[in-house]
Amino acid sequence: MLNIGDQKLGSRLFLGTGKFSSTRAMIDAVKASGTELVTVALRRFNREQAEDDLYGPLSELKNVRLMPNTSGAMNAKEAIRAALLGRELSKSPFVKLEIHPNPHHLLPDPIETYEAAIELVKQEFLVLPYIPADPVLAKRLEDIGCAAVMPLGAAIGTGKGLSTAEMIRIIIRDANVPVVVDAGLRSPSEAACALEMGCDAVLVNSAIAAAENPAAMGAAFKTGVEAGRMAYNAGLMPTSEVAVASSPLTRFLSTSD
Amino acid sequence: MTRKGMDEMKLTVNGEEHDHQGDGSIDALLEELGAKKEHTALMLNGTVIPSEDWNATTLKENDEIEMLVFVGGG
Repeated sequence: MLNIGDQKLGSRLFLGTGKFSSTRAMIDAVKASGTELVTVALRRFNREQAEDDLYGPLSELKNVRLMPNTSGAMNAKEAIRAALLGRELSKSPFVKLEIHPNPHHLLPDPIETYEAAIELVKQEFLVLPYIPADPVLAKRLEDIGCAAVMPLGAAIGTGKGLSTAEMIRIIIRDANVPVVVDAGLRSPSEAACALEMGCDAVLVNSAIAAAENPAAMGAAFKTGVEAGRMAYNAGLMPTSEVAVASSPLTRFLSTSD
Repeated sequence: MTRKGMDEMKLTVNGEEHDHQGDGSIDALLEELGAKKEHTALMLNGTVIPSEDWNATTLKENDEIEMLVFVGGG
């Protein structure tokens, strides 16, 4: 069981709902993944694109809570508005705080993120900020009351995996709130790796949505995350600079005589 | 929904001009635009209006309204 603030989640896999070829494919992947927390975005109502409205399909899913994101916000003020609007619909305390003003790299703006987080914590959100893998920033966000921190593994949608692993290790070592790797993961083995390192959860979107079979990939990530967590709990063996034999080296096939 | 003797009301909805012909309630505007009440979040002149306050809110000429729905996102 994963605790985020006062919320308890049975799955350590969070899913994004973007980029799926259809709502059906997204719903199937959410179900197969076993996730209990999915992110959604806000967009202006458009009656010509009413089929994109996910409120109906998602509200039919049992045991899945919604975490609106603040995507599209260029600064703290816009992110706070987006969070308030999202909470109106989600009826959940979760917000994925993301402020990435540059569409080229989509890297988070740490200063605006920090300022928005202060206000959203005041307004009793469970704030999960998407951040660069910066241990100092992660600690500062924890100190002001964020419910978790979500450092990126690699840039959004790149599938370049845990390129920030060394920084994430430092974040994990110092954190007293859950650490969630958000963005960059491509394969279930990378999700397993994140959980083995001690990450509390991973948030995955493109890797599942852009897979040839999203539902099957959702199930694969479920297994990867579970294996990683089990391994973390089991305690990994220490590493060694030199070989350490696992079979007896006593000679008995000697041909010297 | 048009109330007798009431003129059209010019609003800006999601950045576009809109002539509202109803009674100026948020429910009437949503119905006019074909939006589902429980699927829609609303901002009026830059302020988020919680749905429980919609009944107490009356739109007026030149109001700027943002209507938002959930779509896929990561």
